[in-house]
Amino acid sequence: MSESTEKIESACDARRKILNIAVSTILLETGFNASDKMALETLTEIIQCFLAEVGNSAKGYCELSGRVEPVLGDVKMALVNMGISIQGIEQYAARPNRHVIQAPQQAFVPRT
Amino acid sequence: MQMSRLGTAMDEDGAGHALTDFLLQLENYNPSIPDSVVAYYLNMSGFESQDPRLIRLIALASQKFLSDVANDALQHCKMRTSSQMTQSTKNQKGPKEKKYVMTMEDLVPALQEYGISAKKPHYFV
Repeated sequence: MSESTEKIESACDARRKILNIAVSTILLETGFNASDKMALETLTEIIQCFLAEVGNSAKGYCELSGRVEPVLGDVKMALVNMGISIQGIEQYAARPNRHVIQAPQQAFVPRT
Repeated sequence: MQMSRLGTAMDEDGAGHALTDFLLQLENYNPSIPDSVVAYYLNMSGFESQDPRLIRLIALASQKFLSDVANDALQHCKMRTSSQMTQSTKNQKGPKEKKYVMTMEDLVPALQEYGISAKKPHYFV
């Protein structure tokens, strides 16, 4: 039991590390040179909550209209309901100096 | 009555089309956050989609949100350091290049504007 929870925690950690890198990249793009550990962790927590909340909300809208798989409208409703502006998202997507983080490597699963 | 209804429907359609077109562009676009990471957090909250473009859209929206917050914090930081610089340069010449460090001091007011109240624990080094 303890082993399985440990495994889940380490899996969360791996994703969180990547989120941490993503946050750092965005800060660097914005123009910061360095960051406090605490501010970085706060932003990482925020982005993690953001993703979870969008997922939850979009799923709610999707199920409310009797669908199983979320569509664009559900995601849009979720974002609007959270008060996130998607106004300049196209310009943001096309910004010149953007970095892309490598996707995590799939761990090799040993055969038993 | 009918006209106004038609008008709003057209407006919604226009906005919807813009985002639909944008979604098509996301077919071969990579946001900073890897798809698999975003998908993991979305799956954890029950959102499961076969369409990777939706996941990319969410990743991009979260990135933009964070970027907006960071930009606000940077403005706070710049204002604070510039007021400090003018005080310190009266006595001696400071270093020319400025280094901006993200601290809670700048982050808290920036987050406040977006309706997030962050508090620093009192005795936490």
